[in-house]
Amino acid sequence: MALMSSLLLVQGESPRTSEYQLKAVFLFNFVQFVDWPPSATQDSQPPPPLLIGILGDDPFGAFLDETVRGERLGARPIQVRRYRRIADIEECNILFISRSENERVAEILAAVKNRPVLTVSDGDGFASQGGIIQFFTDKNRIRIRINLDAAEAAKLTISSKLLRVAEVVRTPRR
Amino acid sequence: MNSRSHPTSLLLLVVALTITASPALGQQRDSLQALKRLTLDQLMNVEVTSVSRRAERLAQTASAIQVITQEDIRQSGATSLPEALRLAANLQVAQINSREWAISARGFNSTSANKLLVLIDGRTVYTPLFSGVFWDVQDLLLSDVDRIEVISGPGATLWGANAVNGVINVITKEAKDTRGLTLVGGGGTELQWFGTARYGGTLGSRANYRIYGKGFARDRTLLPNGQAAADDWRMGQGGFRIDWDASTSNRLTLQGDLYDGRSNQLSPGDIAITGKNLIAKWGHTVSAHSDVRAQMYYDRTHRDIPGTFGEDLDIYDVDLQHRALLARHDVVWGVGYRLINDRVANSPGLAFLPPHVARQWFTAFVQDELALVAERLHVTLGTKIEHNDYTGFEIQPSGRLNWTLSPSGTLWAAISRAVRTPSRIDREFFVPAQPPYFLAGGPNFHSEEELAYEAGYRHQNGPWLLSLATFYSHYHGLRSIEQTNPPNPTPLVIANGQDGESYGAELAATYRVSDRWRLRGGYTELRIHVWPNPGSTDTSRGATESHTPDRQLFLHSSLDMPAHLRLDGMFRYLSRVANQQLPAYAELNARFTWQPVAALDLSIVGQNLLHNRHAEFGTPTARRQIQRGVYGMAQWHF
Repeated sequence: MALMSSLLLVQGESPRTSEYQLKAVFLFNFVQFVDWPPSATQDSQPPPPLLIGILGDDPFGAFLDETVRGERLGARPIQVRRYRRIADIEECNILFISRSENERVAEILAAVKNRPVLTVSDGDGFASQGGIIQFFTDKNRIRIRINLDAAEAAKLTISSKLLRVAEVVRTPRR
Repeated sequence: MNSRSHPTSLLLLVVALTITASPALGQQRDSLQALKRLTLDQLMNVEVTSVSRRAERLAQTASAIQVITQEDIRQSGATSLPEALRLAANLQVAQINSREWAISARGFNSTSANKLLVLIDGRTVYTPLFSGVFWDVQDLLLSDVDRIEVISGPGATLWGANAVNGVINVITKEAKDTRGLTLVGGGGTELQWFGTARYGGTLGSRANYRIYGKGFARDRTLLPNGQAAADDWRMGQGGFRIDWDASTSNRLTLQGDLYDGRSNQLSPGDIAITGKNLIAKWGHTVSAHSDVRAQMYYDRTHRDIPGTFGEDLDIYDVDLQHRALLARHDVVWGVGYRLINDRVANSPGLAFLPPHVARQWFTAFVQDELALVAERLHVTLGTKIEHNDYTGFEIQPSGRLNWTLSPSGTLWAAISRAVRTPSRIDREFFVPAQPPYFLAGGPNFHSEEELAYEAGYRHQNGPWLLSLATFYSHYHGLRSIEQTNPPNPTPLVIANGQDGESYGAELAATYRVSDRWRLRGGYTELRIHVWPNPGSTDTSRGATESHTPDRQLFLHSSLDMPAHLRLDGMFRYLSRVANQQLPAYAELNARFTWQPVAALDLSIVGQNLLHNRHAEFGTPTARRQIQRGVYGMAQWHF
């Protein structure tokens, strides 16, 4: 049977879309539908890269790198960074928090609080915990939930085109 | 018996294969560029397949599948798994008495219908005693069911033994979807009282659990002369499920149930039914293109029918499955091992000999779905190879074709071979328990064989969902009862002296009239012919093997009314069962629900409303009359 499986390694196109391939494309879209506040370095030459960080176990494999390869936002190249520890997070623009970090989401969000970082995760309850964009799955389709209070606190402006397809929530008041 | 070392070596094999089967990522580039060009709206409509979920693929499979959703079950007011199965138009469902049901697909229905594979969360529940299902002990909280997939026609290649005429796959919700406390209570005329409690919570941030308990009592049915049939019964059951996302690529599930029931009977002494089961599952995502699933379970059942029969059955089962997306191929393969330890307490009137047996099954399957034209034309080839202690090796191949004509329509066709391997009753059943025998087992009984040809069409367009399946099956070596020394009428033995054929069509449709009103219906035409082969002395022409109406109709209307009210009606018609002289019947169930606040549901349900009493199964003297029933129910969710 092992022989049979190896014989089946034929070239062609995969007929299905895997979850994290699609999520990678969503992250790429967020770059275009979110406005970051002007920063001190953005007009420097060469232009600084727009950074997408992944904190924790990387579920994307090569998908995210493939998706943003050669892509730019204006003059800024888009690059992927991977982080293990909260302390490692540089000045990234988008921070994807892996489900492996579920237990310390509050700690991570506190660390980037009031910084212009678009926090994204597919962990349960991420948006209600104060994360900005949460992926969830409904009927095999990827849905997004946006916490507008958290976006405003981070001084990010989210395009109405993105808000229109998202479920918008607010941080629960005490 | 080396059942301990066996899984380990299988696991090593799987790991070895997984490593060799890592696909090339470069092939993804074209589809990636296509994805990047999509608008946000279009991205929202892309369907994702998480590799591990075989179930999602099933709806696209080239087979006659119908899905009963949680919504369907809730709205129907069904109070047991068999009642919920009435919602699948491609099943034949008949209530025999208060506790027993005859359920089959594509005919061959009987009290011991034996050509169906029934799975609850991956646990096979048909009994190796007669390859049928004791429906009285297949219980769960219906509100925890996510969906029931009902496949009519052979599913043996992927699903396994006994899936000759169909598969019923009951899938419960994940623990994360059943959080909070839910209490349900109620009672009525036939379902006299019932109560359930379920609580779901979290264990840390990565694990969820639920626990439940339930109990009920059901009233007796009536004998043909109108007297009580003394089959009233009651049951208690509890269970749990834990889902643990151990890491992003590893997922573990542990679940189990425990039950205890008592039933009255016409002869002295109560029938006792008890049992327990425990399942452990592990899912591992190797990459976006490959994953492995392993499952192990233990299932124990005890049944004591005083004066007739008693049984203690232990089942041990291990399954491993690997799925890999390799370019245009979607390959699934797996191996399984099953051990049963069955101890029967015989009575003077009937016996299973020897009373105590241990039997084992080894299975392997491989299936490849090849995209001849991506997203348009898929062909699936596969086979199952099984080894059992009765007949040795059995091979069950199938070929399927799936042709997507347009975004709304899919044509499919399939050819399959399936076998129903012997169970204890086919080989080891003796009447009476001592010689001289009236029935002396089936020493030469071998597998019943089926060759099935199917074709179908599925159409989804706006509010319409339509599915048509047509089929022709030929059966060879169907079970017969033969005279050993004709013309002497006895002794008899069980053999394979009959052949047969079945053909028909199954139509199912859903129509959303408006946001508030939904109609669901099904219509099945089915013909079964069974005849004796040369040399056979069985002249029953299938009268002992199949009790099935020629046609059946089902209609469900679900109306969401203002003021938090809702009304559901379910009508069914089944034509006569000729070989039981059972007349045709039509019945209606209705449910009226009021939800005064979001957390509270109050409902009243009427079952079998059209007649005071009716019969669904059995010859004129043996059949039981099912009475009209009404019950009220309250459900709180905190």
